[in-house]
Amino acid sequence: MTHPDSRIVIRGIGAVGGFGCGVAALEQALSGGEVRPGRVALPMTAVSDMAAFMADTVLLKDFLPVKALRRVDHYSRLALLGAHLALADAALPEADRAGLGVVIASGHGATGITFAFQDSFINDGDICASPTHFANSIHNSAAANISIMLGAAGPSLTVSQFHLSVPSALLTARQWLLERRVERVLFGAVDELSRLTSHYWCRQHGPAADGTLPRPLRTGADTAIPGEGAAFLLLSREEDAANGGYCTLDSVTTGRNLPPGPLSASPGLLLLGADGIQATGRRYAEAAAGSRIACYTPLYGSMPPGPAFDIASAALILRSGVVFPTPAGDACDFPAAVAKGGEPVGPGPVGILTLDDDDGHGLISLGSL
Amino acid sequence: MTTAEKLKKILVEELNLEEVTPADIDDDAPLFGEGLGLDSLDAVELVVIIQKHFGLEIKDMDEGRTAFQSVRALAAYIDGRLKS
Repeated sequence: MTHPDSRIVIRGIGAVGGFGCGVAALEQALSGGEVRPGRVALPMTAVSDMAAFMADTVLLKDFLPVKALRRVDHYSRLALLGAHLALADAALPEADRAGLGVVIASGHGATGITFAFQDSFINDGDICASPTHFANSIHNSAAANISIMLGAAGPSLTVSQFHLSVPSALLTARQWLLERRVERVLFGAVDELSRLTSHYWCRQHGPAADGTLPRPLRTGADTAIPGEGAAFLLLSREEDAANGGYCTLDSVTTGRNLPPGPLSASPGLLLLGADGIQATGRRYAEAAAGSRIACYTPLYGSMPPGPAFDIASAALILRSGVVFPTPAGDACDFPAAVAKGGEPVGPGPVGILTLDDDDGHGLISLGSL
Repeated sequence: MTTAEKLKKILVEELNLEEVTPADIDDDAPLFGEGLGLDSLDAVELVVIIQKHFGLEIKDMDEGRTAFQSVRALAAYIDGRLKS
């Protein structure tokens, strides 16, 4: 589904991930071209820990009183921090939140608290299940926490479609704006690396060797490192652009079975969601053939919200007019041209391509204001 | 460890009382409102916590209201029920 006739503006960005917290930290990571991963504990496996891009929510205390956060789990804290940062970045007054809708994209949801809730059933019986754990385990918990704590009085929704959650949820966010159902949408993508998801990752991919970094543009090896975080965008209609903004969100397309070969409508610059997972890497290489590409996943890691970080990165590129260097961009065996750091972005739109592991794809197109 | 000390540790951990340590909790301070600042959802959590950690079910609301006055009152209630 595409709506190329109406343009949406990205007015604010809030991001928290392994690179740090806030749009300035993201821009610094993009300019520097490298972020070293931290470690996540693996209590249920033979190895004690593995490399991961972990996000710290300590700065949430700058926006909300500590007491208000005691029932809020890590997943919702990531989302709340991203949401606050995006609103602060856009300088949106509190009075303008009446028509603010909230749309969240999440691949896995609040896995930490959900499995803690289920464990309490197994260990202590259903009568000892925590009501707070239950409240945080419902699928719309992060959106609800944001709506309540930020006073966003519009509708709220959470969309989960694993790696295609971002383009899928973005379709709804655009539709709400185009229908004038809301004045603005706080759109965010969030996922956490809980004990369970870390364990699952290690079982699927194994821990990355110490000191190695992702090489997403290499098709011959699995080099992915998992990440967690939140990337939020304040979206509004084009007439709101007078209040500032980064770029326009021109179209969102999702579907299955991307035709073989290069994209038919190739953008001026194509940001790839390739994250070092070998199987999808081959499909990215095929889809990107002949394109001018960039890839920033090594700065925040492999996770379903990745495309939202790509949107934020593309928005910064479009605002500055200059491409950031692709981390490990020289380690590329894709049949494509990796854009050099400092190159002008050029006149064409910036595309963000996301592929899942089941023939699904999402293509988001951004343009200059 | 006395029941009151154990309770304070459990309250801080299970109710996620950020920036509060067990030593900060006064034995006689009200658990709800002005004292520790707990609310109605915490009351439900407390019922679950008492069952989980001490194996005691609180079914009578009046009984719970008296026991939930303070840490000292709750510890006395737990000790009394465990003895009987």
